[in-house]
Amino acid sequence: MAEPGDRRSFMKKATGLLGLAAAPELALAAREAQTAPPPGLHDVALSVNGTKRTLRIDPRVTLLDALRERLDLTGAKKGCDHGACGACTVLVNGRRVNACLTLAVTCRGKEVLTIEGLAQGDTLHPVQQAFLEDDAFQCGFCTPGQILSAVACIREDRAGSDLEIREAMSGNLCRCGAYPNIVAAVKRARDAQAGRAQAGRK
Amino acid sequence: MSLPELSLHGLERPDSLGSVCERLAERAARGEKTVLLAGGTDWFVERHVAPATDGSEAELVLDVSRLPELRGISASGDTLWIGAATTYLELRRHPVVAARVPLLPAMSKDVGAVQIQARGTLGGNLATASPAADGVGALAALDATVHLLSVRGPRSIAISDYFTGYKRSVRAADEVITGFTVQMPGEGSFQYWRKVGTRLAQAISKVALAGVAEVSDGQVTRLGLGMVSVAPTTAFLPTVRALALRRPLDRIADSALDAATQADVSPIDDVRSTGDYRRHVSGALVREFFRTLRSR
Ligand SMILES: Cc1cc2nc3c(=O)[nH]c(=O)nc-3n(C[C@H](O)[C@H](O)[C@H](O)COP(=O)(O)OP(=O)(O)OC[C@H]3O[C@@H](n4cnc5c(N)ncnc54)[C@H](O)[C@@H]3O)c2cc1C
Ligand code: FES
Ligand code: FES
Repeated sequence: MAEPGDRRSFMKKATGLLGLAAAPELALAAREAQTAPPPGLHDVALSVNGTKRTLRIDPRVTLLDALRERLDLTGAKKGCDHGACGACTVLVNGRRVNACLTLAVTCRGKEVLTIEGLAQGDTLHPVQQAFLEDDAFQCGFCTPGQILSAVACIREDRAGSDLEIREAMSGNLCRCGAYPNIVAAVKRARDAQAGRAQAGRK
Repeated sequence: MSLPELSLHGLERPDSLGSVCERLAERAARGEKTVLLAGGTDWFVERHVAPATDGSEAELVLDVSRLPELRGISASGDTLWIGAATTYLELRRHPVVAARVPLLPAMSKDVGAVQIQARGTLGGNLATASPAADGVGALAALDATVHLLSVRGPRSIAISDYFTGYKRSVRAADEVITGFTVQMPGEGSFQYWRKVGTRLAQAISKVALAGVAEVSDGQVTRLGLGMVSVAPTTAFLPTVRALALRRPLDRIADSALDAATQADVSPIDDVRSTGDYRRHVSGALVREFFRTLRSR
């Protein structure tokens, strides 16, 4: 949970270098938008958690680095940077994507959803709630990726049997081995959402 | 990996296949390297493995992932066209593919995991000419034709003629893989896919076998085999094919199959497995293929 006094914001205040990266992105973007980007850089407008953002970036920058280093959204984690662990999973236009295998420039005009955008105010998303209730994590490093993957897995209607869930979630590794509880949480969230949809129809 | 460690590259998104070919031609003529970005699942890993060296030349990345000419699957008669930028997830979800070439969805299910399947493409799988490419194993068993295009024109080659060595192929620097055609196996054909890796997901094959067979009056009338990670290139198992094709199925002995398989593979020890284990598994998979075929 990002609180005002957490380690990361402390480091940012303490080191001028990181402080720069945390400069108010929106004001910066507005100023940049007045001029054409210098050679080699690209302006990319995209929606992140429902907010329009404009980034002026080098084409080598991955979506993961853009989120973490430019937009200060550190929920998506860098586990392997190779597409192998799923810790960086975010949704792009509703689909699961390894942010480490995605160039930010290719996200122009797209909608990105990260763990920071999932809850509605203080109300957790049903998948977040289920992860709490089923104790579906230990250290929590893989959890943002697991949760977004689970959101898509349920939405894709691939959360039927345990086997189907395990296959659909197999791109998200958990070093702590919380798999049984993760599968239970996915089922709980699936049922909660199905129940809610049912109630909505009545 | 931080930015300064990554080699510089520009990025362009050409809006037609024609402009991709032109860009490739002018750069190839100057000896400049160009990367075609399809799913990026190989390229991202590769750029980490071989990061920038001082004075390395800036390369250009052309995003081809959304070019309509490279997308899509379509059937015309018994011929199936698969665009090079078709993803594994698309192969898993296509009704004609599921009905006529179940080998392809079976193989696709075993590639990486959902996130990789949503991005990785069959064209990218072939382009690196790695012997560990699962999709290429399936294309080999289907005796697919590879379609290439450059400003010099199109050309088509049998996939068995595509490779010239480990990670080497006949594709020139200015050529794009546009797609594949496959003669769809007939009704009642036997299609086989078995991958042996460390775990079910996110594991590169230690060995995998793709197979296609048609049998008529007890005789093998069509046979295609593609084996992964047992030779410098995808293995087509020509000795096994020659032994069994147009032969009565019940007269193909396991001992002869074993000898033929061992003649066709030359596996090595590497980070994923040992040559000995791969030899053992190669034989077991070929025997299983024929055992299942006989018992149908
Ligand atoms: C975590 C992980 C798991 C994986 N698991 C598997 C697995 O189980 N089995 C397996 O086989 N592979 C696996 N891979 C490798 C990879 O996903 C596949 O090889 C995939 O098919 C590559 O396709 P791509 O579109 O992502 O290629 P890209 O990375 O986009 O491109 C790779 C290369 O191909 C060239 N290229 C791309 N398209 C064309 C074209 N149309 N014409 C000419 N050249 C082209 C590019 O220039 C580039 O050099 C895995 C990768 C990762 C990261
Ligand atoms: S950090 Fe992206 S998959 Fe591991
Ligand atoms: S909870 Fe620790 S890695 Fe999954």
